[in-house]
Amino acid sequence: MSFAITRQGEVVVVDVEGQLIVGNRQELKQKVLDELEKGAKQFLIDFSQTGYIDSSGLGVLVSLSKKIREQGGELRLANLNDDLQTLFELTKLDTLFQISDTRERALESF
Amino acid sequence: MKELEAMLIAFRESTRCDAGVWSTRPGGGALDIVARSSPRLLPPDTLPDANAGTSVTANGGTMIVAAVPGVKRTWLAIAPCDEDAPPAGHHLKMLLPFVAQVLRGTQEVEHAAIELAERYEEINLLYTIGDILGRTVTLEEAAATILTEISETVGARHGSILVHEPATDSLHVVAAIGADTDTALPIAVDDPDCVSARVFRTQHPLTVEAGEMECEAERPYRRGEMLSVPIMWTTPSGGEPLGVVNLSDRRSRQPYSAGDQKLVAAIATQIGTAIQNARLVRSSLEQQRLLQEMYLAHDLQMKLLPKTSIVAPQAQVAARVVPAESVGGDFYHLFRMPNYRTGVMIGDVSGHGYRAALIMALAMSASAIHAQSAADPGQVLSLIFGSLREELSSTEMYISVFFGVIEHRESTLRYANTGHPHAFIVPAEGEPRRLAAGAPPLGLSEDVPASSTERWRAGDDLLVLFTDGISDARNAAGERLGERAVLDRIVEMRAGAPEAIVESVFELLREHCGDIPSPDDLTLLVLRT
Repeated sequence: MSFAITRQGEVVVVDVEGQLIVGNRQELKQKVLDELEKGAKQFLIDFSQTGYIDSSGLGVLVSLSKKIREQGGELRLANLNDDLQTLFELTKLDTLFQISDTRERALESF
Repeated sequence: MKELEAMLIAFRESTRCDAGVWSTRPGGGALDIVARSSPRLLPPDTLPDANAGTSVTANGGTMIVAAVPGVKRTWLAIAPCDEDAPPAGHHLKMLLPFVAQVLRGTQEVEHAAIELAERYEEINLLYTIGDILGRTVTLEEAAATILTEISETVGARHGSILVHEPATDSLHVVAAIGADTDTALPIAVDDPDCVSARVFRTQHPLTVEAGEMECEAERPYRRGEMLSVPIMWTTPSGGEPLGVVNLSDRRSRQPYSAGDQKLVAAIATQIGTAIQNARLVRSSLEQQRLLQEMYLAHDLQMKLLPKTSIVAPQAQVAARVVPAESVGGDFYHLFRMPNYRTGVMIGDVSGHGYRAALIMALAMSASAIHAQSAADPGQVLSLIFGSLREELSSTEMYISVFFGVIEHRESTLRYANTGHPHAFIVPAEGEPRRLAAGAPPLGLSEDVPASSTERWRAGDDLLVLFTDGISDARNAAGERLGERAVLDRIVEMRAGAPEAIVESVFELLREHCGDIPSPDDLTLLVLRT
């Protein structure tokens, strides 16, 4: 379970490996906020390596999205697996995020 | 010294010369009488440097004085003799070995007696400490009594017992002689100057001389030389230091011996047991209290949930909430409303445990206030969100809520759903229909949720609401139970009473998960009109 942060041009890309749950959500939040503090504006969280997101993990995504927007930036999500995609649709969370099928499409859309 | 006196009197009778034995104190000073042939015999004015017999002036005449071989600081003096004849050197030579033998024998007996007394005191101390540990419960009480006993045995007038506190990584005085435990300063384990800190770190006893390693914190219970011994707790994997015993200011002024160190180390092990017992007792009491509080909190939270009978006879409802911990964030609510209407709500606060439970309690009371203040379910949810906005925002939590109102005369179900994934109408025949969310969970969006209307067939339709704890329940292999399996079971049971359906779904959960405890709260509500 870890978060790898890389840069693709102006975009900060975060890969979430394993799960995003109550036990590690603060670590993700801190890493993203650190980048935001350093001036980054565009963020992409890639869930291709992610099996599960619990309710507190979803809470952190929404909170990060708000904070990034407040700084004039944008948070996008990519590569949600079928279960996660269904979860976002059923809970209408898909209305709060820009979600792309692939990393490349998400990067192009910034 | 009766034997020696009898010998000196016999010597006088045979030689007609007086004889006496004197000793000096350590460090010099006045001569003390050990034995003499006559009470009128006075000590020599001066003592010879050498061991050999030397003539010295005393009692107005001449005395022959010699150190007694093998007996420290002790002198034999002969003279005066009757008729004022000077004593002969051979008198001294004859008497000296006998005096030496008697004195050495006496000294050995004295040493043996002292040794025996000390051993007796040590054995007595071990018994006393065993007795103290059996009687006392608090660590402080046991430590104070043990310190008093051990100080008496080794003759220390100052001392202390310090115990390690892992939270601050420092040593705290729990008992002291010569100092007030309440005002005594704690010592950090990494303190470079204090003896207690070093002994705790090295886990080896240490005797420091007066002036050596003096530190401010130890000043109240240290006078000069100090013996410091670690308190160890022996475990199968080795030893663990728990604290330190310090002893100082010996009455006898004798330095601490290896024997003293051994004795104190043995006692320190006993103190280690006392500390560990006290800790175990304390933590077990705390756990018991915590467990009781958790049961109480669980009962209180379950009491917040309404009885399902409040909406009878218009609706028959069965509901079950099983929090993952003692309390959780899942809830349901039921409202008997005017104009033949029944309100039903299910909610899932993000996360679980106490934080979620507090938000759940707020949501319960907010929904009770607002459920009937607007006709439109979406408006009701918006009002509830208004009451919880601050709490949700400051805690970064959110609530998925479904709120439906059945209009019995109109045969409709009007509902609003903010992010709740599992809400269904299960008809008497055919597939379940999802009552989909129209907005994200409360706390994630400011928009007023939209309301929708569905046809409701009294007697045929079941309203089924459950939280994701049920569909996400995993078995030992990590496989989710899944929404489909839950719905299949409900469809299979749909002709039965709501209670039977709820029981059957929980049976399905038990079959799937076995003994694996659920990481999330589980809630299921089934309603039929």
